[in-house]
Amino acid sequence: MAAIHPPLTKEQKKAGTRAPLGANVWVLAGMAILGISAMLPVLQNSAATSQGFRTQAIEADKAKLNGEIRTLEADVASLTSLARIQRRAQEIGLEPGAKPIYVSVSEPGPAPAKLPAQYLPGPDRSSEAPAAWWQSLNTWVPLPAR
Amino acid sequence: MAQYRAIETRRVWLPAAFFGAFALLIFARLFQLQVLEHSSYASTAQQELLGDDVIYARRGAILDRNGNVLAMSVDTWDIYVSSRAWKDPARATAASEALGKALTIDPAELRRTVAASKSVDVLIRRDVDYEVGKTLLKANLTGIIGLPNTARVNPEGDTAASVLGLIGLDNTGLAGIEAALNNDLQGKPGRAVYERDTTGEPIPFAQHVAQKPTAGSDLQLTIDRYIQQLVERTLDQGIKDHRAQGGDIIVMDPTNGDILAFASRPGLQYSTLNLDDPKSMELLRNRAVTDLYEPGSVMKVVTASGAIDAGVVSPDTTYVDTGVAHIYEISLKNWDDRVYGTQTMTQVLQNSINTGAVFMVEKLGAKAFQSYLDAFGFGKPTGIELTGEADGIIRRPGDRNYSPVDVATQAFGQSISVTPLQMITAIAASINGGKLYKPHLVKSIIAPGGKRTDRQPEVVAKPIRPDTSATIREMLDAVVNPEGFRYPGAPRDYRAGGKSGTANVPIPNGYDDRQIASFIGFAPVDSPKVIILVKLDQNQDLATGTQAAAPIFARLADDILHYLGVAPGATKAVAKP
Repeated sequence: MAAIHPPLTKEQKKAGTRAPLGANVWVLAGMAILGISAMLPVLQNSAATSQGFRTQAIEADKAKLNGEIRTLEADVASLTSLARIQRRAQEIGLEPGAKPIYVSVSEPGPAPAKLPAQYLPGPDRSSEAPAAWWQSLNTWVPLPAR
Repeated sequence: MAQYRAIETRRVWLPAAFFGAFALLIFARLFQLQVLEHSSYASTAQQELLGDDVIYARRGAILDRNGNVLAMSVDTWDIYVSSRAWKDPARATAASEALGKALTIDPAELRRTVAASKSVDVLIRRDVDYEVGKTLLKANLTGIIGLPNTARVNPEGDTAASVLGLIGLDNTGLAGIEAALNNDLQGKPGRAVYERDTTGEPIPFAQHVAQKPTAGSDLQLTIDRYIQQLVERTLDQGIKDHRAQGGDIIVMDPTNGDILAFASRPGLQYSTLNLDDPKSMELLRNRAVTDLYEPGSVMKVVTASGAIDAGVVSPDTTYVDTGVAHIYEISLKNWDDRVYGTQTMTQVLQNSINTGAVFMVEKLGAKAFQSYLDAFGFGKPTGIELTGEADGIIRRPGDRNYSPVDVATQAFGQSISVTPLQMITAIAASINGGKLYKPHLVKSIIAPGGKRTDRQPEVVAKPIRPDTSATIREMLDAVVNPEGFRYPGAPRDYRAGGKSGTANVPIPNGYDDRQIASFIGFAPVDSPKVIILVKLDQNQDLATGTQAAAPIFARLADDILHYLGVAPGATKAVAKP
């Protein structure tokens, strides 16, 4: 039976040792690619489903919070209603005010409170003096923009 | 090896033909089911499998001019029970016990209701409190379906109810602002789709929102809740004091047409509304825009405005009153049957002399007078944001039953029917510099994203010149502030102008004893901030407009102007050149 396969030549040995190893690598790589390709849609589906459930849960939470906000707004509105304010004022012993007194003064009223600079309009650029003619030459020079 | 060969025979074709025909039959049936009748079966399957419902969009809130909430929507649940899921008695009992406890309904009654219903999903209760519904749904009870909905709440109670109106079960406005601006308030409803299992029970996680609802816009009204409440309280008291059938009070800013308060009785009251009673439907209409009345002597202001604007008379023009004016053999008398003698046009308004108004119309001419009526907006709706507004009636030459006497009687407010809103709008134009503003209740519309669209005042017409208007203001100042006695319509702290009217209720071929007492006044006289119409319908004490309506105006003018922070100070109206 051993005589069926004659001994390999040098060249055959070289080629013979490489061939099976090379085939394995390619087969493995192909299988890996196939495996990954097969798994990818599964993973994507799984991720999409999980994301979908999470989105649904967040939307449900959002709806719940919105509902609670509306309920709180309704509570605030009923607590600030005129009837409730009048009832509460009576409870704590307040009475309707007397006839208002209007005082006329010749002095000017207090100056309005100063706002922080961040809330004030910026300086009026249009009132600045126009640039000299030679300053337009600067645009010819490739200087970094300010 | 021996080979066997089938003997060819025709008998083999018999079963082949049979099976072939059978296969063809099956194929044909499949073609019929899956191709020809596909859509019909698909929709039947969808109906069996899927349930869907409307998700109502959050309805926009209605705010007063200062941002206080008059009406708003809160989230609620509509609770349904799947009758299929409750076919199992044990599960139905367990679920009905829990549901009955949460909604305070007898569980046995619940089971009976569901069993008796022909619907798959049986509505148990609408507008269940948000937290209660959430707890119910979290408990995963058999066959319970909760659909989000919204309910309308009115934090100010009955205040401004006849202006706001109400909505129906489908969240659509039925009356008032809710109906007139339904498209803005309602938003766009969405659609929820859920899958059922074979028992009809919703499959967990199989519910999704097929179309998201879009929330409605918020409305900011020109109404001030404090003034509105004050006006409603005052009107109720006035009706009680004078034993009237009803009445209206309208408070308007004459400089831009903003309606600050709008009260009408009888009218819608949320606290006493019973929609099962057919008579309550009458309460849904706002009588100050839907019902007509003959204004009586208040119309003399319009007559004087036209005559002075046309230059045919001045405040000091005199005529001699003989107590009666003869028009085509018809005698028109003064309201008090008195003879006043020589009178100026200002005195005509002060003493409310009918023959003086006829004198002005004769000077002006019928055609010109009626063109002034048109210019002041009579005979057509004002365009306010309320449904069912009446046009009004002006008898004109060419109309059936028209008589030349009609123009003469129109001069003092008869043979002409107007709405209270038309009347106050016209008088506002005669004292504000001559601009006829479109009266409006909506100040701005705020979209769900926060974008605010302000509605600008709209000048519809300029019926008279500014100098004529200043003259009319001065003449009406003289009515409320006569020399020698205190007029009942004079406010305590402010100088005002105005004119009263008392008109009998017209019936076919004449008038009966029922009357309408009214007064329209404005203050402060030199720079009017408010104009107020007070009208009492069929007051049993038969007090005139001056006696019944004018004092109500005086009290309201004081209270409202103090509330608005207007300092008393004006002394006398001065006509500008």
